[in-house]
Amino acid sequence: MTTLAQEFSKGIVKENPIFRLILGMCPTLAVSVTALNSLGMGISVIAVLLCSNIVVSAIRNVVPAKVRIPAYIMIIATFVTIVEMVLNAFAPELFEALGIFIPLIVVNCIILGRAEAFARKNTIGRSVVDALGIGLGYTLSLTLLGVIRELFGAGSIFGCPIMGTAFEPMGVLGVAPGAFITLGVLLGLFNYLFKRLGIE
Amino acid sequence: MHEGLKMTLVLLIIGVLCGSLLAAANDATAPLIAERIETEFLAALETFFPDVDQYEVEKVDKEEFYSCYDAGGQLIGVVGQVQAAGYGGNIDYDLAVDAAGDIIGIRISAHGETPGIGDVITKPDFQERLLGLNFTDPIAAGVDVDTVSGATVSTGGMINSIRRVMNIMGENFLGMEVEKAEIDLSTVADGTYTGTASGFQPDLTVEVTVSDGKITEIKVVSHNETDGICDNAINEMPGKIIEAQSLDVDTVSGATMTSQGIVNAVFEAFQ
Repeated sequence: MTTLAQEFSKGIVKENPIFRLILGMCPTLAVSVTALNSLGMGISVIAVLLCSNIVVSAIRNVVPAKVRIPAYIMIIATFVTIVEMVLNAFAPELFEALGIFIPLIVVNCIILGRAEAFARKNTIGRSVVDALGIGLGYTLSLTLLGVIRELFGAGSIFGCPIMGTAFEPMGVLGVAPGAFITLGVLLGLFNYLFKRLGIE
Repeated sequence: MHEGLKMTLVLLIIGVLCGSLLAAANDATAPLIAERIETEFLAALETFFPDVDQYEVEKVDKEEFYSCYDAGGQLIGVVGQVQAAGYGGNIDYDLAVDAAGDIIGIRISAHGETPGIGDVITKPDFQERLLGLNFTDPIAAGVDVDTVSGATVSTGGMINSIRRVMNIMGENFLGMEVEKAEIDLSTVADGTYTGTASGFQPDLTVEVTVSDGKITEIKVVSHNETDGICDNAINEMPGKIIEAQSLDVDTVSGATMTSQGIVNAVFEAFQ
């Protein structure tokens, strides 16, 4: 039986949702244009993942297997909608910036994936740790992507211009092709790194 | 318990609980959201009229107009949230006109114009041409405001729309009467007059012949309009104007800009 610490850390490295599990790619590519948007999205996903894992784990012995998917989707959609309302009320700029990708968290494979693969077979405690680990791994990876794309694509990090006026920003990094390229390069890099470190 | 019954019951209970949770969250956040939108809007009105204290909203033909009043209850001006027909679809914009009928602000809020070409409508280079114009000015493409070459549909659409919006504001809110682009033919001597205005493209020139206080002929002598599309306008507009002996005629659908250009050019001929 893995320890809680191992459950937590697996989400950051071994089972990193972006670079290892390759889940939730669509919002990843679309939202990681700036570091701030990435961070905002990551935190929203952590919130939803945490709530959904807790509830799915809590009712895991009550929900008949045949209707578990509709049940999970209802629960996930509810939490996503609540997050959306909260963002709209308390963080309107982030709400506007993330736009359509907030409601799309419902179909982000990470959330349903963890509910199906982990939360319904584990205790609430372990599900909480799993959610935090995966969520944190997602946020860190997404923010890394966002920082790179914003730094070279717009010359700033979190909105602060740091590259100076002589720097010619690479506009392509702000749009889809640049997203794919950055992700691909990072993926290759991490694959190589993990291989060298013996992580499978 | 019967399997099907259990499944239905579980889903039902989850549904009810989710629904209740959502309703509660909505009750908690909806007032905050509405308040924020209201504050943002008042702040937006303040960018046009810094002294605005309160406002009244009225809808005219699906477009919203905000009459802004200062702390003393005096009308400072009107902001209209209106639409123009652009090249890439509708352009949503705000037009701010003060109580004297001067355009004091334009803000494009949404558009689908081509970046680098049609989006000149968002730039000061174009907007400056319209700021300061008054309700009593023609506000017509090629007459007192020029379109931007290469972006005639975008800019022309804005100009036409602003004229339309000014008319609405004047009649409904500012107490000004729309002066129809009328020509008093009784004061016009017999002869042939030439006028130029912008249709879809600039430099649409007409020759207007007047005899015995009546327009007897209108000829479009040169233009850069789109072949085929403009034909209906060029063929029909002169006839309409002559029959009505006035410029208060309907444009030809499918060639509105050319039609309006012909009307403007005839008006110009008599200036």
